[in-house]
Amino acid sequence: MAGLRMAVVWCPDWPAVSWGVPLDEPVAVMAANRVVATTPAARAVGVARGQRRREAQGRCPELSLIARDVDREARLFEPVAAALDAITPRVEVTGPGLVGFPARGPARFFGGEQAMAAAVHGQVEPVLARRGHVRVAIADGVFAARLAARAAASVGQSTQIIEPGGSSSFLADLPIAVLEMPELTDVLSRLGLCTLGLFAEIPGADVVGRFGRDGQQAHRLAQGEDDHPPDLRRPAPDLAVTWAFEPPAERVDRCAFAARSLAEELHADLLAQGLACTRVCIEAETETGEQQMRLWRHQGTLSAAALADRARWQLDGWLNQGGGGRPSSGIVRVTLIPDEVVPASGRQLTLWGARGSRSEDVTRVVARLQSILGPDAVAVPEYRGGLSPSEQLRMVPAAAVDLDEERPASVPQWVDEPWPGRIPAPSPMLVQPDPQPIEILDISGVVVAVSGRGELSAAPHQLRGAASGTIVQWAGPWPAEQRWWDPLTARRRARLQVVLDDGSAHLLAIEHQQWSIEATYH
Amino acid sequence: MLLSASDLTDLATAEGGPSLAAPEALASLFPQGRLARGISIGVMGSGGWSLAMALVGAALGDDGWMVGVGLEELGLVAAGELGVRLDRTVMIETPSPDTWATVVAAVIEAFDIICLGPTDYIGHREAARLSARAREAQALLLHLDGGRSWPHALDAVLTVHPRHWSGIGAGHGHLQSRLVTITSTGRRSMAKPRQVDVLLPGPDGRLAPAIADDLVAATGSTASCENRELVGGEPDMPPVVPGRAGTSRAGI
Repeated sequence: MAGLRMAVVWCPDWPAVSWGVPLDEPVAVMAANRVVATTPAARAVGVARGQRRREAQGRCPELSLIARDVDREARLFEPVAAALDAITPRVEVTGPGLVGFPARGPARFFGGEQAMAAAVHGQVEPVLARRGHVRVAIADGVFAARLAARAAASVGQSTQIIEPGGSSSFLADLPIAVLEMPELTDVLSRLGLCTLGLFAEIPGADVVGRFGRDGQQAHRLAQGEDDHPPDLRRPAPDLAVTWAFEPPAERVDRCAFAARSLAEELHADLLAQGLACTRVCIEAETETGEQQMRLWRHQGTLSAAALADRARWQLDGWLNQGGGGRPSSGIVRVTLIPDEVVPASGRQLTLWGARGSRSEDVTRVVARLQSILGPDAVAVPEYRGGLSPSEQLRMVPAAAVDLDEERPASVPQWVDEPWPGRIPAPSPMLVQPDPQPIEILDISGVVVAVSGRGELSAAPHQLRGAASGTIVQWAGPWPAEQRWWDPLTARRRARLQVVLDDGSAHLLAIEHQQWSIEATYH
Repeated sequence: MLLSASDLTDLATAEGGPSLAAPEALASLFPQGRLARGISIGVMGSGGWSLAMALVGAALGDDGWMVGVGLEELGLVAAGELGVRLDRTVMIETPSPDTWATVVAAVIEAFDIICLGPTDYIGHREAARLSARAREAQALLLHLDGGRSWPHALDAVLTVHPRHWSGIGAGHGHLQSRLVTITSTGRRSMAKPRQVDVLLPGPDGRLAPAIADDLVAATGSTASCENRELVGGEPDMPPVVPGRAGTSRAGI
């Protein structure tokens, strides 16, 4: 059975368009040193997604680079999605730049699919204000409609309508890579199945036997059906979760925290019933009673982190909308409603060795602890450059990161440049949050000082204060000047390593003629 | 991989059930050379925290998670040097007296290794309950205060006896490696007292087995220490350039 008649509205190059850059200038949007989106002008000279920065600049020396900001993309896309409310109340946002809705009802209202597509253009184009293009496609099933929109963009058409029943023949000639499942399509193309049509011809049972659930899903898509069989969809049970703000929230950071807690809660509730969410409805109510609602759909199932992102984007979009769309007062209530659920089939991509479930458990427990202890009480370390042991790391609230994802700032290679004046490894194991004052005496009992040239006035012999003992070995001093160009924050320090007669070793620092214990080699 | 196929066969014969990898240099401290899951271990002595982090570094493997509770002073840079994956590390601020037990009970459910700082807020009955829960959930409890503030008996206490720092002299070099003796006492499978000499940290910052030279240097007279200094006596930091200090500068 073919999928439902679906319309897709696509704004190509949205990451670039959302920054308001003219499309005839070569611009690339970068994330993690890779091109993630380009303007048509940049594409014309050979800049493509996935290229490294240097490669892209090699193709086009005058290329401007912009760092990707997904939150911004989502926020600025909200007006586009809101414009479609005039066409249908069932607008589903798939991601910034892409929305879909069931086409049958609106097409009947507007008197045909062509007329409806024209109405969509009429609604969306004033919002975009010539900064970007919009493509409308209608086909059986979301997947075919999306690819039709892409096909329309590549030939410069604004609308593409695949007649009912024509989706599978439209898809048949497309390369297998459009499935965007690299591990799977890599194997398939090595098996000689280079187009969706060839893949669709294989009996479904064989595909499931060899490639499991993801293979089955891909196979359904290739045949022009929806990824989840209709009979698997269930009416969602009453699992809505609600967060009440007291006082009303007007800033997005409070919303973000609520979104995360709600997402964790909803995800846990769904899992307890063996369900996963493919479409979520996000509702918000303001102090003055304004209500807003938006559907978000995901191709696979929405993880807790994905749910949280979408809720945050949506609230950010409403709160920071320009013009009349902005609510007149703060948000008092947010509700997440699982609008469409499927049986949870374990996590996706297990066949190719995705991450263990440990990190999901950890994410859940961390969210729970944050609700008990406050968001800042649970933190994860990130490397940054610095001189003293306490400056080389910073603690980031766990709410601000996704523990399920790789975090490059938490591996030592993050800071790869040598940091001059840093004392070589090993680093001290016990770092004093507040350095303890201490005195160093030489053999005749006189306090040891450090001269302006970074030299000790005498050999240190005795330590007195927070730690006491006879110094048996010592090294340094290592003078360090930080931010000498700024008189307000400039610091001049010198550091000394000492080993005491009891075997303990300490890192001492002097600043303004005062020695202190900075850390201990525990 | 947390466990290889041969580890799995070892497990079948081991008395304690599932286990975590122990650092190779410390294998002789533990039965079957591995760290049983679900037990409580205390670390004592100057160097105990380094020992704890060396254990964590080896035991986490690729997929484990570590949490520290009430350990604001723990030097995570040093922990990273000892092999702890900081992208698998979560730190929780010292909880208030009435939430301590709740926090520990919660983290036991998800984390593989739980490092605990000192607390006065866990009663005997709570400690016994948490230890039992950790055994069930197969979480390793590491008490960084040696278990002194934990009112329930630990399965093992590892004590670090620091012996000798090398790389540092009288005004030159820098701290490089430390020879320590680690002793273990405990109960059940850890009841037999054991002892091992290791470099903690070793010259590359990680835990390393002690070789004969290290032992000789530590037990020998001052003369052998001086020999060392002659070999490694070059100061690691360049001297301050006199030209820069031509103008008189105030002391630091």
